[in-house]
Amino acid sequence: MKNLTGAKIVIESLIQENVKVIFGYPGGAVLPIYDELFKQKKIRHILVRHEQAAVHAAEGYARSTGKVGVVLVTSGPGATNTVTGLTDAMMDSVPVVCLSGQVPTHMIGNDAFQEADIVGITRPCTKHNYLVKDVTKLAGAIHSAFFIAKNGRPGPVLVDIPKDIQTFKAIYKGKRLTKKISYYKPSLEPAVDDIDKMTKFLSDSKKPIFYIGGGVINSGSKASVELFKLMKKTGFPCTQTLMGLGAFPMSDKQFLGMLGMHGTYEANMAMYNCDLMICVGARFDDRITGKVSGFSPNSKKIHLDIDASSFNKSVNVDLTVKGDLFKILKLVNDKISKTNITFKNSKYTKWWNQIDKWRARNCLKYKQSKKLIKPQYALQRLNSLTKDLNPFITTEVGQHQMWAAQFIEFNKPKHWMTSGGLGTMGYGLPAALGVQIAHPKDLVIDVAGEASILMNIQEMSTIKQYRLPVKVFILNNNYMGMVRQWQELLHGNRLSESYMESLPDFVKLAESFGATGLRVEKPGDVDDAVKEMINIKGAVICDVVVDPNENCFPMIPSGSTHNQMLLGPNDKVEGEISEEGMVLV
Amino acid sequence: MNEKNTKHILSIMVDNEPGVLARVVGLFSGRGYNIESLSVSEVDSHKFLSRVTIVTSGTKLIVDQIKAQLGKLIPVHNLVDISELDSFIGKELILVKLNVKNKKKPDLKEKLKKFGAVILLESNHEFIVQYAGTPEEITKLVKLLKNTKIIEQTRSGLVSMATGTDYIKK
Ligand SMILES: Cc1cc2nc3c(=O)[nH]c(=O)nc-3n(C[C@H](O)[C@H](O)[C@H](O)COP(=O)(O)OP(=O)(O)OC[C@H]3O[C@@H](n4cnc5c(N)ncnc54)[C@H](O)[C@@H]3O)c2cc1C
Ligand SMILES: Cc1ncc(C[n+]2csc(CCOP(=O)(O)OP(=O)(O)O)c2C)c(N)n1
Ligand SMILES: [Mg+2]
Repeated sequence: MKNLTGAKIVIESLIQENVKVIFGYPGGAVLPIYDELFKQKKIRHILVRHEQAAVHAAEGYARSTGKVGVVLVTSGPGATNTVTGLTDAMMDSVPVVCLSGQVPTHMIGNDAFQEADIVGITRPCTKHNYLVKDVTKLAGAIHSAFFIAKNGRPGPVLVDIPKDIQTFKAIYKGKRLTKKISYYKPSLEPAVDDIDKMTKFLSDSKKPIFYIGGGVINSGSKASVELFKLMKKTGFPCTQTLMGLGAFPMSDKQFLGMLGMHGTYEANMAMYNCDLMICVGARFDDRITGKVSGFSPNSKKIHLDIDASSFNKSVNVDLTVKGDLFKILKLVNDKISKTNITFKNSKYTKWWNQIDKWRARNCLKYKQSKKLIKPQYALQRLNSLTKDLNPFITTEVGQHQMWAAQFIEFNKPKHWMTSGGLGTMGYGLPAALGVQIAHPKDLVIDVAGEASILMNIQEMSTIKQYRLPVKVFILNNNYMGMVRQWQELLHGNRLSESYMESLPDFVKLAESFGATGLRVEKPGDVDDAVKEMINIKGAVICDVVVDPNENCFPMIPSGSTHNQMLLGPNDKVEGEISEEGMVLV
Repeated sequence: MNEKNTKHILSIMVDNEPGVLARVVGLFSGRGYNIESLSVSEVDSHKFLSRVTIVTSGTKLIVDQIKAQLGKLIPVHNLVDISELDSFIGKELILVKLNVKNKKKPDLKEKLKKFGAVILLESNHEFIVQYAGTPEEITKLVKLLKNTKIIEQTRSGLVSMATGTDYIKK
């Protein structure tokens, strides 16, 4: 038992939480903690160039390792800069602990210098948060924060630590003996009854589909293993959400592609026409359902999720199974083995034949060009040339993100990091940095748009400082492509403010940060550029000049249903988009 | 479709810590749910637990969502939809200040007594009256006073309890 200052308690409790890396930025209100950081060697501090980037880096670190990502920032502007990152982590269920400095307790509420009510500000965008006003509760708050961030449905937790608390002393008894300050006990065990019901549903169906989401990734690699077993036992087709890609191998024939607004024809048609939908850790997001009243109208639906608030939120289901996915899937597999339920191929032949017909539409095809690089082509080549290296891919937000989801193949979980729920431009570069810190020897690529990349471009400096070999693969279409696509489709092609003018010279920009800059303008040069990029030891920005007018298909226009997909530039929206549809995001 | 709005009384046991009410209220405003009334006070000073009673309304889907969202708040220990239990009671407290002429006092006193309301303070031309009852009973009281000049009134939120075991303790 040691009598330690608050700052020292912070460090000690992080060490006991097995934290190896934190992403942060110093300032007046956290100087005592930075002083303690300086005096130790167990925790590595990565100095980012913007606090938002610290959170995204922590997210990348967390998503690629399954561990909690940790952030340290100062009060006021340091703390408010984390809000977008925390909201992003909240929406995508990423475990992050953010420690912020605060003005001393006696000055709270006085509009003191660099005071912001960050606990108030982040209440709706964190899973939980604490303002620590008593040094004897500091360790309890930090250990509780880690517990809450990673257990149940993961999410961000913020601990606000006033500067005087960092200098006061208290006894630290170690993690095991420290009393948690919150009662939190998420239930992980599914009800046995529900498992029985579920297996009955499975064996009764003739046109089933698994709809797999990010919850499988959250549950851990063991959940993917159980899911794989169940997929093989049943032989059913599956689709995955943007957040779920890689939970089940995308190269497998049972995988029909991503579903939703930019999902494949076969996946969406199968969802629309199935008689049983088994939702495995996904949340019926509006990007998936389209118009809710027309969403898979004739199916029975089973929903497996750890969070009761995900159930019946937008879509009514017939059976809910609450618990951790690994546990649920394992119990289902055991039940199937024990009861010798079989899933005879012949029963599903008709269904698979139908699916094959949908597949034959080849909905991801695009018109190849000899002059202009098609973004899809660039990503296909990137995928083929890097596949064997099993790269980690992050993205920014826009068309390039959707194309990356369509054209890069993930066969393992935790290799795909993208901002799904919040759709945060500027996520990809700092996330890639965080992934690279966790996996220094692996290939990490940020698939970027020229607009998004500028939102956190300052992180090139962090990349330089830590000599991180991050590769930035910009699909440069000179437009906020996703915005332009919507304007073309929904706003009479009036391209209001979606043209990206005055872009930097990305080659020179790379060079100014000590990285290598490459530019490709012809389809024939793509392969060489990708090869060069992955052969270079350090950081690279590869500026791929692509067809500025290409749009992302398939697309389900807002307010439409799965069977009203646009498959290519020649498909027109039928009639007018309803007013109801126009107001949707 | 089951789209009918129904009224629900939710009783919630929470850690009595700073900000807990803001979490509950913020959840309702942030997600666009309805609060018809709210009352909160500490009920266990050893375990620092407060009991919150919220009256809300919505379709079944919405009310289920409200309960699930409340259940996710870390300081929430337990939540019961009292209005779904067999036998329960809900009461509010009202204080009304009345302007009464001296000669009318005896008459009004009698009326209030009969109704079960209590006069807490009496001054020259004033009564401060207290009454606890169901929202309907309180409406009745206000009706009873329709010919009396009400200077001001204040009402608490509903508090509620059901018969049987202490289902909310945890
Ligand atoms: C421009 C743009 C376009 C998009 N287009 C599409 C699109 O076409 N298709 C698409 O799919 N998405 C698309 N998205 C993403 C979309 O917005 C959502 O983020 C995504 O669909 C949600 O994925 P999910 O349902 O898997 O849920 P997640 O957000 O990953 O949620 C996971 C679910 O699993 C549960 N869970 C977590 N841990 C566990 C556990 N251990 N056990 C059990 N359950 C658990 C959670 O409670 C939650 O309900 C797009 C995003 C952007 C920015
Ligand atoms: C922070 C933020 N601001 C605005 C948006 C809205 N938005 C979505 S996609 C997009 C354009 C992205 O352009 P770019 O990065 O070039 O990608 P492209 O679509 O061209 O591939 C915009 C502005 C957003 N998602 N995030
Ligand atoms: Mg662009």
